[in-house]
Amino acid sequence: MNNFAVLAKKEFVQMVREFKVIWLPLVFIFLGITQPVVSYYLPSILEALGGGQGITIDPSMAAQKGGEVLASTLGSQFDQLGVMIIIVSMMGVVQSDKANGMLAFILTRPVTVGSYISGKIISNYLFVACSVALGYLVSYLYVVFLFTSVDFGDLLVALLFYLLWILFIISFTTMISTIFNSQGIIALISIVFLLGCRIIVGLSPVIDNVNPASMSKHAMEVLILGTVHSQAIWGALAALAWTAVTILVTNIWISKKKFNNE
Amino acid sequence: MELHYGWNELKDMDFMSILPIILPVIAIGMILVLIALIDLYRNRKSRKNVLLWTLIIIFANTIGPILYFVIGRKDSERI
Repeated sequence: MNNFAVLAKKEFVQMVREFKVIWLPLVFIFLGITQPVVSYYLPSILEALGGGQGITIDPSMAAQKGGEVLASTLGSQFDQLGVMIIIVSMMGVVQSDKANGMLAFILTRPVTVGSYISGKIISNYLFVACSVALGYLVSYLYVVFLFTSVDFGDLLVALLFYLLWILFIISFTTMISTIFNSQGIIALISIVFLLGCRIIVGLSPVIDNVNPASMSKHAMEVLILGTVHSQAIWGALAALAWTAVTILVTNIWISKKKFNNE
Repeated sequence: MELHYGWNELKDMDFMSILPIILPVIAIGMILVLIALIDLYRNRKSRKNVLLWTLIIIFANTIGPILYFVIGRKDSERI
């Protein structure tokens, strides 16, 4: 077994030990269920509790399509609470190794920094991607059951776009986790920066082309309209380029030993 | 005009038709709470603020167990 496989396996063992392997998929399934159920029952909840005098929803409003509900699962559940939960669960990924001296120990062995980082990022990414996909599929089942069905090809394309954005989230959090020493600061900077990225999506097409968060918007567009935006390929390339930049910064930071292992 | 709405109005809702759809949502929330509580109980000797965490897990719905898994377990490892 080479170094990469050993380090990746160590990450998986750690995930099982922290119960992460159970609760992260459960949380995403929960987020995925919430949106279709709430948007399906909102009219009847308001009717039952409002007694016909308070807020009512115009019955002539067009019924929501399945794709729109699935897009709002991505846009309003996964992009807010989901991103925060990913960041909070990932904030100690390198920081805890720094804190207990594990990183300094690993680097005394014949292990390249590249295989250490790629082991971290790839194993965590595979796991987070699986749980996001699981939550998304459960959401899809609910949407098909409660609303109209969604084209399966669109579903996969949208998931693929969304996973690129998740890849950037993970590599960015790893970079911040390498640079800073306090967990609170890591979580704060990552959440503010990544949610900020998500908020400025759609302000101007020029920013969208270099913003990795625009992948999330493209995924929503695929679900709602059924067509891929013509600029989506540039967004995908930008997301991959930013991911490469963050991994490079992490690599340089560790190999120059700028971390202080107290 | 009636301003007060009591529990008897809730009976107007058709709960049996909603139940199969709502049940998974409640079940997943319950599983998270249960796992967190079992883990807290097993390690009650080595954790700090056991009572506080119990209250957070039970009352802060779905966010509470997550916070416990991320922050509550790590604190104890440092000691």
